[in-house]
Amino acid sequence: MTHALEMKGISKYFRSTDVQANQDVDLNVNEGEVLALVGENGAGKTTLMNVLFGLIEPDEGEIFIDGKKVEINHPHDALANGIGMVHQHFKLVPSFTVAENIMLGIEPNKAGFTSHKEENAIVEELANKFNLPVDPTARIRDLPVGMQQRIEILKVLQREAKILILDEPTAVLTPQEVKELFVVVKDLASKGYSIVFITHKLIEVMNVADRVSVMRAGKMIGTKKISETDIPDLASMMVGREVILRVDKDKSKPGKPVFEAKDISVSDVNGLAAVSHVSFNVHAGEIVGIAGVSGNGQTELVEAVSGMKSLDGGKILLNGKDISKTSVRSRRDEGVAHIPEDRMGVGLNLETILDENLIVSRYNQSAFSRFNFMLSKEIRKFTNSIIKSFSIASAEAGEGISKLSGGNLQKIVVGRELSGDPSFIIANQPTRGLDVGSIEFVHKTLIEARDKGAGVLLVSVELDEIMSLADRILVLYRGEIQGELDAYSTTDEEVGILMAGGKVKEKSGKQEESVK
Amino acid sequence: MDGFLSVFTIELLNSGIRLATPVLLAALGGTICNKSGVLNMALEAKMLMGAFVGIVAAYYLNNSYLGLLAAMLAGGLMGSIFAFLYHRYNINLAILATSFNLLVLELTVYMMRVMFGNVGTWSDPSIERLPDIAIPVIKDIPFIGRIFSGYNIVVYASWAFVIVLYVVLYKTKFGRHIRAVGENIESAETVGINAKLIQSLALFLSGAFAGLGGAFLSIGHLKLFTRNMSNGRGWTGLSAALFGGNHPITTFFASIFFGYTEAFAVRVQNVTELSPQLVEVLPHLATLLILVLVAFRDKIRVSLARRKFRENLKKAVASQEEG
Amino acid sequence: MKNKKLRRIFDAFLVPVLAIISGLIVMAVMIRISGAPIIESYQVLLEKSFGCEKIGFNCPLISTLERATPIILTGLSATVAFQSGMFSIGQEGQFLMGSVMAAWLGYAIQLPFGLHQLVIIAASMAAGAAYGYIPGLLKVKLKVNELLSTIMLNLVAIQIFIYLLEYPLRADRTEVAHSHIIEPTAILPTFFRGAKFGWGFVIAILAVIGVYLYLWKTKSGYEMRMAGQASRFALFGGIPSDKAAIRAMIISGALSGLAGAVEVLGVHRRIMGGFATGIGFDGLTAAILGQRNPFGALIVAILFAGIKLGSQLGLQLKFGIPRELGGTITGFIVFFVAARKFYENNIERVREWFDKRRAAKLEEEVN
Repeated sequence: MTHALEMKGISKYFRSTDVQANQDVDLNVNEGEVLALVGENGAGKTTLMNVLFGLIEPDEGEIFIDGKKVEINHPHDALANGIGMVHQHFKLVPSFTVAENIMLGIEPNKAGFTSHKEENAIVEELANKFNLPVDPTARIRDLPVGMQQRIEILKVLQREAKILILDEPTAVLTPQEVKELFVVVKDLASKGYSIVFITHKLIEVMNVADRVSVMRAGKMIGTKKISETDIPDLASMMVGREVILRVDKDKSKPGKPVFEAKDISVSDVNGLAAVSHVSFNVHAGEIVGIAGVSGNGQTELVEAVSGMKSLDGGKILLNGKDISKTSVRSRRDEGVAHIPEDRMGVGLNLETILDENLIVSRYNQSAFSRFNFMLSKEIRKFTNSIIKSFSIASAEAGEGISKLSGGNLQKIVVGRELSGDPSFIIANQPTRGLDVGSIEFVHKTLIEARDKGAGVLLVSVELDEIMSLADRILVLYRGEIQGELDAYSTTDEEVGILMAGGKVKEKSGKQEESVK
Repeated sequence: MDGFLSVFTIELLNSGIRLATPVLLAALGGTICNKSGVLNMALEAKMLMGAFVGIVAAYYLNNSYLGLLAAMLAGGLMGSIFAFLYHRYNINLAILATSFNLLVLELTVYMMRVMFGNVGTWSDPSIERLPDIAIPVIKDIPFIGRIFSGYNIVVYASWAFVIVLYVVLYKTKFGRHIRAVGENIESAETVGINAKLIQSLALFLSGAFAGLGGAFLSIGHLKLFTRNMSNGRGWTGLSAALFGGNHPITTFFASIFFGYTEAFAVRVQNVTELSPQLVEVLPHLATLLILVLVAFRDKIRVSLARRKFRENLKKAVASQEEG
Repeated sequence: MKNKKLRRIFDAFLVPVLAIISGLIVMAVMIRISGAPIIESYQVLLEKSFGCEKIGFNCPLISTLERATPIILTGLSATVAFQSGMFSIGQEGQFLMGSVMAAWLGYAIQLPFGLHQLVIIAASMAAGAAYGYIPGLLKVKLKVNELLSTIMLNLVAIQIFIYLLEYPLRADRTEVAHSHIIEPTAILPTFFRGAKFGWGFVIAILAVIGVYLYLWKTKSGYEMRMAGQASRFALFGGIPSDKAAIRAMIISGALSGLAGAVEVLGVHRRIMGGFATGIGFDGLTAAILGQRNPFGALIVAILFAGIKLGSQLGLQLKFGIPRELGGTITGFIVFFVAARKFYENNIERVREWFDKRRAAKLEEEVN
């Protein structure tokens, strides 16, 4: 039987980040089928779909539609071949109506003049055909997210797509909207459409898909029928037995709470809840790992804890003191260190020299400045000492840093943050995009800091990293703490299930603070 | 004060509309650019260039109407260069606009002196000032007739452009595409609309409008060219567009407002003892005030969303405690 | 290491130099249009700008340096603003405010020599600083675009200047308004007879050094530069960026105000109609071309003053070429710098071509 869509041997290497995003990947979807494409962040799902939709050119590989080979170099070609994509971030015009958005670019017109009546009629017919009721005259910006997504789906259906790619469609939906979406997807499948459903939420996979393909680290691990698998099986495929590094560490001896978050809530850029009623503690001498797939509130949580964004609700305490309303600088002065997830745009200033990067959080100290003047000799000495103690290769005091490798840049960040013996360290995706040696270095350094008595809040989407470093694990899902696990007695699969929105029997251990 | 009140005459109403015209044209240019997502900060340069090219062309071609056309083409050409550089080289728009403004300011005077001798202001009796058009029927209506009839063609053209721009932006396919590019460029690109082409077109048109506004000053109003004739009206036009929320109709009224500010300043000067500077500064202060108000309005909008979120949280906590 | 440093300086200079060369080529075209001979024009231009027979006698170089003085200061003003991430072009207005203050205090108060100048300079700097504070505050608190606000404030300042000149400060009923000549105790002394070159230039040089030290050697300067180069980094590190931005605008305004004081006290000794217009914009271009570096601004300011003077005294006088040539070429040069990507792309291409040839040659040698 020929597949409706087949991708064979797709490979793609990105020079800019030195990553093999896709390696010899095969994928196929049949007519009237829902295929779930799952994998963690960085597994390569998005790259694969961008290749399919003509946004990226693969280094190798071929694409077949109904058995015939096709060339896709641009979204035009994809659309012409009946492939439609519903992106994770909607591509709608907020001030336009539903009909105007759906008909954008293909507006029926007489000599250029548009006709709302005609468009609305077309859209109503379309909506009825697929049983996706919408109000053609409503404005996008007034509609809830679930409805906006429905319009994105109608958009591709109007353009006669037969193969629909839905990229993390439930990321922004309420549970009710998710249910409605599943009904729509199954209905479309029954009408003969082929649907590729990209997600990391395994529960949804079990509910809506016919088959599931799992990717990991750029490779296609395997494809199974839903009837032949279950969540733990999929979780283990996603997460894999390829344990890169498990650092040797002693069991932690936690002391007093260094950091306490009490019922904190933070809104995102749209005024919706990104972090919702979260409470947890970090004790001295322990590493608390916040696991979770990216986009579940980690960014806003870290921004609030570091002081870069203000809290909307709740309190945070540092060594017993309420720091909820204090500035970044005063938090740093009190002993907070922060390794940010974006080292090039936030953690460093690539336009200036190494010395100026290293003193950003301490130039006010009397060791480095007097009467408004910066003591360049002292700063130079400090810079050289950091270079030495953290073995930062090819970095020189007084020179720029923009040409250094990712690993060395992160060493600069880590060196700066961890020197000075902070009492509380926020490490947000500290090894993103790094090579094995640098990952090892960062992990070693964090463990050392913990053993010296610091409390570490490790936020990471890499489950390996969490399992390796953390003493306690909290899982963040949709802005809430989904569960808490003891790192020494839990398994990858358990954490994976929580990360995917499921529930496990919690082992209480000796933790005081638990989830709401 | 008798002298002061005599400012408010029919002449005031007339000159307000006339003085608003170049601002309106620049504002329309600003509107169309803003709608397509490009902040055009070189309207002043295009206006000044239009003023120069317009009157020079009118002189050499012995036809003021052709002068207007030449001014529009010159402005449009500048707009296209702007678009080309912006798309091809991703240049910092602020620096590019600043360089355009500086360049045109000096270049126009240089060319004037080279072509017509070492003068500070150039004019020529052979240039026909654009004739005032008396609209039949309307001109005879008392009071209303004097307000709406008797302007030159550029004024009426600017009103026509307001309507045309409104219709194009909101009733045609092309206008929809422009707005889509401006609001969310990806929404347009993913359906196959050529965003760069649209922005280039918008920049061309805005240059043409601004150029026409400049030509109005030189051919239609003062019948001469002098250094820095536009005197900030390009910037005022941009502010009017921002104040009007980039909608042709409200931008029209914002421009009229600025026109009246200037007309008022001129009249008060003639009629009272107040020094000319104190009133000539009014349009600029008005523009500044508008900028502040617009910024304030945007700030309120953003903080509103956050405040709502916090209030909802508080309500939720309160109801929890009760229940 | 020496090689790297040289390479860096070379790279920093390459684009501005190419832009200036392009500007000079455009100048040739413009001279042609005006009908004057090209080669002789360049000669005259060079003579009348940087030539010097004998100091105090026929030495345009001295005049160029003197003409450069206010441009250096407004250039520093723009440099400070740009380094802090504020694209302010308000130098013109701040300059006018400073000069008005100087013209007024120059004759309105009596103070001994030495003290008089110091007080006036301080007051002018304060006037400029206040005028720079306004757009700074608007940007930080309300996010008002500083390009637009400073342009409007410039226009307002021009009106204020004209008003004060024509009414309160007016000296007599001559056709072109001018203010009273300042007291002898307020004058900034000159060094040579026949030229206005004097303490003003020294102040400008001191300011260049001062701005350099402030921006690169002090905490405040560090904060301003980090906030301007990488705002998210500054937020992350705890740098008070808002305060830094406002401080930058205050200092920027003060420097332009100083330019106004120096121009009044050292050169004109009063203000009058047509007073030093365009100094602000020249400083702006000096800062852009000088790559936001105080020493770069110094060099460019002197270059521009030379071009202007040469056009005015040489080209205009000898060949009748309009003096706006200088300003136009300046505008073109800024335009070329703005289009730097054009140069950078082509430089890349040339470099690649060189590298390929070198690689091909190596291959040949190996085989």
